[in-house]
Amino acid sequence: MKLEKELVAASSVPLVLSILSEGDSYGYAIIQRVKELSGGKIEWTDGMLYPVLHWLEDQRLVRSRWSKSESGRKRKYYSLQSDGRTALRQQKEQWALVTSTLNQLWRAKHA
Amino acid sequence: MHNLEKSIAEWRKTSSTASHVGEEALDELESHLRETVDELVRSGLTEAEAFERAVKQLGGTPAIASEFQKLEQTAWWPVKVVIGLGAAAALTFAILSIVAFIFDTRPSRFLLATHVFTVGLGYTTTFLIGALGICFVGQRCFSDLSPARLRSVTRVTFILGCMAAALTAVGVILAMIWAKTEWGRYWAWDIKETGAFCVVTWQLCFLIAHRFTRTAARRILVMSILGNIVVGLGWFGANLFSSGLHNYQTWSYSLLLLVTVIFNFAFFLIGLAPAGWLPLRKAS
Repeated sequence: MKLEKELVAASSVPLVLSILSEGDSYGYAIIQRVKELSGGKIEWTDGMLYPVLHWLEDQRLVRSRWSKSESGRKRKYYSLQSDGRTALRQQKEQWALVTSTLNQLWRAKHA
Repeated sequence: MHNLEKSIAEWRKTSSTASHVGEEALDELESHLRETVDELVRSGLTEAEAFERAVKQLGGTPAIASEFQKLEQTAWWPVKVVIGLGAAAALTFAILSIVAFIFDTRPSRFLLATHVFTVGLGYTTTFLIGALGICFVGQRCFSDLSPARLRSVTRVTFILGCMAAALTAVGVILAMIWAKTEWGRYWAWDIKETGAFCVVTWQLCFLIAHRFTRTAARRILVMSILGNIVVGLGWFGANLFSSGLHNYQTWSYSLLLLVTVIFNFAFFLIGLAPAGWLPLRKAS
């Protein structure tokens, strides 16, 4: 099963914010984490993550800094800000509402 | 044998032609590309295959650029004001030059009028870049500009910087030709010429800092305030020491110039402070 393009786009912000709530991360690692959690079913075009990250930074939900990894490679790390935590809380409530509404509808149909 | 560095350099060269994808975003995409190549090579692919697949996985630059374009916000109000003032200054200088030429239609007067138009507009444009720098520092006292807005303002200062340098350079060349026909020499390092030389040098340094060094955008904007001092001294300061038509050796004129220099230098120093050092009191 492959997710619809629109759903992938809509879920990108809560996914990124949730991953960053686990700790600072960078683009490549975020994509790997999404793949790992979804069992490879959520597939992003890698480059499309970066406009999302930059948008989050513009909204001051995350902050970025360049840092060198142990291998000596430069990476841009993102960290969640307090406004980002608030936004994540709101996203959780909204997605929980959508999920519970759909669950009720689908349970009623199957009953 | 496949040369990864060469392939990445070519990819970067092609990608850099896409508008809305800045240098920093390209650095980030390149870093991602390298991580993917490493991972694919570890999984058993050859470097050439890994690169090809990594580029495909990353996606086409036009698509990425169009996503970045959506981040661009409407122009910051000081940018709109500066563009309006620039247009008004261009019109004023054009009218003054045309009027001056109408009253005296000698070819040398045409040369002088065109010189006044181009140099005046070049200097004014440098002042306008400095004004943007002051607005940026003022804003930064309370909170930083968003990265997208900062990129957009920096791009505007680069475009204005190119215009200012080109106009001033053309103006100086016209003045040299005029000086040759009227005074029999191109250049004599008089106070006005030295002032113009300092302004052109400043404008070139500003453009070099913009393009050829990796100076951070906020540093460039703070630095642009110094341009006000250079042009102030080169344009109006030179009048303090010259005699004849441009003799302004009065106390009020000198004081005004001194206040302008101190005002701009103060803003430059404030610009070195961290963003948000002057917190706004929230209404209860």
